Amino acid sequence: MKSPAATLPPSIRGPVAGFLSWLLPGAGHLFIGERVRGIILIVVITLTFWTGVAIGGVKNTVNPEQRWLWFLGQICAGGHTLATLAISHNIPSPPPGLETTRIAYGREEEISVVYTAICGMLNILIIFDVLVRAEHPTVPATSPAPPRAPKAGGS
Amino acid sequence: MSDMLALFLQPASLARWQQMLMLLPLCLAVSVVYKTTKCERVRDIPWAALVSWVTIVVGMYLVGIGLLVVYELVA
Repeated sequence: MKSPAATLPPSIRGPVAGFLSWLLPGAGHLFIGERVRGIILIVVITLTFWTGVAIGGVKNTVNPEQRWLWFLGQICAGGHTLATLAISHNIPSPPPGLETTRIAYGREEEISVVYTAICGMLNILIIFDVLVRAEHPTVPATSPAPPRAPKAGGS
Repeated sequence: MSDMLALFLQPASLARWQQMLMLLPLCLAVSVVYKTTKCERVRDIPWAALVSWVTIVVGMYLVGIGLLVVYELVA
C-alpha cells in the first residue's frame, strides 16, 4: 500500500511530515510510509510523556509561567504538551492547604518535568529524522536488485 | 475511568528507591527513539536499543557513584 506522502513532491512532503511529527511524535514516519518506525515512536514518546504527567500531576507538569525554559523543551513534544496545557487550564486550582492533592513538589516535580522535556528533545531528533527520510526515501529491501551492467570490452 | 483520571490528576508519591528506578524507563525511551532513527533495518532496533540502554544505565549509575564518592571525600 502506498503512503499518502508518495504522491506529493519532496518540497511539500518534508514540511508536512515534520509538522505531523511535531503534532504527534511518530506520525510523520507513518505519513511517509515508515509504519513500524512510526508506531514504535508514537508508543514510546506517548508512554514516556504521560508517565511524566502521571508522576507530577497534569495541573503543574507543564507550566510555562513558572518554568518557561523547561517549557521550551516540553513544547517540542507538540500535541502531548498542548493537550496537557488544555487539561491543566480546565482543572481548578486546589484550595490553600490542599496543594499537594494536585501539585507535585520536590523530586516528583523534577522527575515529571524532566520526563516531559526529554520527550520534547527526543521529538527534535524524530523531526530531523523524518525530514531526511522524506527528502531521500530509502529503496524497500524487498525490491529486486538492479540488473548488472555489462563489462566494458568484455570477453 | 475515574481511576485513570485520578492517575493523572493526583501527583504520585515516590520512595527514594523508586525515584532511582525512574532512570530506567527514561533511558529505555531515549535508547529506543535514538536507535529507531539510526538503524537502517527495523529488525536491528531491539538489540541495538537494548545494548544502548544497558550502556547508558551503567554509565549513569557509575557517574552517580563517582559523584557520591567525590562528595563524601570533599564534604
